[in-house]
Amino acid sequence: MKFHWFHGMPWPHLPDDFRQDNRSVWVDADSRLYDPVEGHRLYHEYLDQLEFAERVGFDGLVLNEHHQHVFGLMPSPQLMAAALARRTSRAAIILLGMSIALYRPATRAAEEIAMLDVISGGRIVAGFPLGTPMDTNFAHGANPAEFRRVYREHHDLILRAWQDPEVFAWNGESARLRYVNIWPRPIQRPHPPIWIPADGISSETWDFCAERGYAYVCLASRGIAPAQEAMDGFWSRIEARGLPCNPYQGVVSQTIMVAETDAEAQERYQPHLDYTSGHTLGDFPGWTEAPGWRTERGIRERAVRTMADLADPIPPRVPTWQERIDSGSLAAGSADTVTEQLEHLVMSLRTGHLVGVFHVGDMPHDAALRSTRLFAEQVIPRLRHLWDDYPDHWSPTPVATGRLTRTTERELAGVN
Amino acid sequence: MAELKTLDLRPGGQTAHVWQGGNADSPALLFLHPITGIPRWGDALESLANDFHVIAPYQPGWGPAKDDLPGVRDALDLVLFNVDLLNTLGVGSAHVVGVSIGAWIGAEIAAIRPDAVQSLTLINPLGLWSENHPGEDPFAQHPGFPTAVLFSDPDKRNELLMAERDPMDAYVTELLDLRASAKFLWPIPDTGVGRRLVRIDTRTLIATSEHDNLVASEMGDIWRAAIPGAQSVEIADSGHIADLEAPEALAELVRSFALEGVTA
Repeated sequence: MKFHWFHGMPWPHLPDDFRQDNRSVWVDADSRLYDPVEGHRLYHEYLDQLEFAERVGFDGLVLNEHHQHVFGLMPSPQLMAAALARRTSRAAIILLGMSIALYRPATRAAEEIAMLDVISGGRIVAGFPLGTPMDTNFAHGANPAEFRRVYREHHDLILRAWQDPEVFAWNGESARLRYVNIWPRPIQRPHPPIWIPADGISSETWDFCAERGYAYVCLASRGIAPAQEAMDGFWSRIEARGLPCNPYQGVVSQTIMVAETDAEAQERYQPHLDYTSGHTLGDFPGWTEAPGWRTERGIRERAVRTMADLADPIPPRVPTWQERIDSGSLAAGSADTVTEQLEHLVMSLRTGHLVGVFHVGDMPHDAALRSTRLFAEQVIPRLRHLWDDYPDHWSPTPVATGRLTRTTERELAGVN
Repeated sequence: MAELKTLDLRPGGQTAHVWQGGNADSPALLFLHPITGIPRWGDALESLANDFHVIAPYQPGWGPAKDDLPGVRDALDLVLFNVDLLNTLGVGSAHVVGVSIGAWIGAEIAAIRPDAVQSLTLINPLGLWSENHPGEDPFAQHPGFPTAVLFSDPDKRNELLMAERDPMDAYVTELLDLRASAKFLWPIPDTGVGRRLVRIDTRTLIATSEHDNLVASEMGDIWRAAIPGAQSVEIADSGHIADLEAPEALAELVRSFALEGVTA
């Protein structure tokens, strides 16, 4: 079993009356609420947390890409990955991911991931999300009617750019390049592992992962029932192809909060969860369905739920702590409690890679570090053995550390 | 009696799904539908069919032509589709009436193939952009009622667009029609037609609706100023989808202008 530490890099200083003047935390939230000097402090604090996670034993550090988002101050995960590549030496650096459809030409994404793979010594996981309508269509202006076709084309171009040793021409609809021949090339052969994150139920993503042998990433933020539906759907596609259901091909993310006791966990962490939920509550629905972002199949799958919601509307409210625990959208409590919750989650969803969200909202630095340390020391050792019988084909394969050289402090001191 | 037919177009071999109504000997009228497509042979088309041979195709990507969207990329492809359709029907030229996105397509036809256009009526035209009059974003809407903003009263979406149709099919079609519109209008409805409007030498009428949330009356002025000799009028008590909200007013306006050259 592998354990990874995710950072969303949220802005923690939204005023209580944010909603009065802002319809959304995304796309058009008032930028005057952002303070760059405080942002400087935060970026370093957040990077410190990621580096700490490697030190206490996490297997991977997870970054993602959002645009014009109050709770995602990482428009470029590659920049953060570059910083981590120099300051860490063992953990996988998991880009979960880069919105490859936004890179024109897409060889730019191929180049940057190759650079990161080389700098890090082969520790990169390349996540290729479709992205959200908010990030890709509304903030970056990508045409939703063309977006899936562009995504597929960029995917194909990046894969070939990494692997084809010859100079080749690419005459696509999005990219037209007479000479494709990227330098550098990734260390990992044939290419870094590819993970595909999907929010919600997407049968197209299941098929895409199953056909190509990519890891499927299920974001369990809505609770165990939707996550179960998503993972069952994915595993059914794997089985239908006669492939082994290797748990390492299934990745699940989960919000995790550990304290000495269950009561202390709630007392210490609940306000920070509520900070995010409270400010997101009743967010502008017009951002969620850019026309064309879903396929016709996707529209039909989603429409059933949309119509049910309209027929029987439930007023939005922040869920209670216990509701979060019961629904499985949160694993929290003492180390014993969290171990039990996560063992159930891991076994029922059949996942070999658990991505933990340890920092949320306006959580203070020391609280995030404490929860992280308790998890590393008291939970990981008790779950590590799960899925020992399966080979993990979806983690990076770094160069042996003996082959990596760095200038030592002593050598630097000797330079005049 | 109106008929919905599927035709193979020459010379491209593309398929067209087209409503036709009225007497084939009457003056031909090409109706170019709005963002919401053609939900049914409605009152506007029925009224126009009293005086015209009405030809109302689904543009590639809309309604039954939903799978044809990848085959069209730009204005030229859409112009050729409509011209090929007229050729296939043996119609040399027609009165062209476009609503919403259809008005943009109509203007393109008139600019590129003036010989095919006898008169041009552009109703609530999309395709030009002004920072001073951006209008509502038709693509940033509640997914439960995504085209409500196109009507003067949101409830009219149910009443005029969704009624008497299977709810699921109507909803899926609504979203796919929006997808087709987004292909040409995302993220800002500036199609580049502004560079070509000066080429239009057909007599042209611009109409804007009193309660259009997308196209302000000032946008009508901008269109009128850009097309040599164009005239303009306002349609009372209507939103953006004037063929559904004000069918009689639309038909009367087209009849007067196309047949008699009168702007009411």
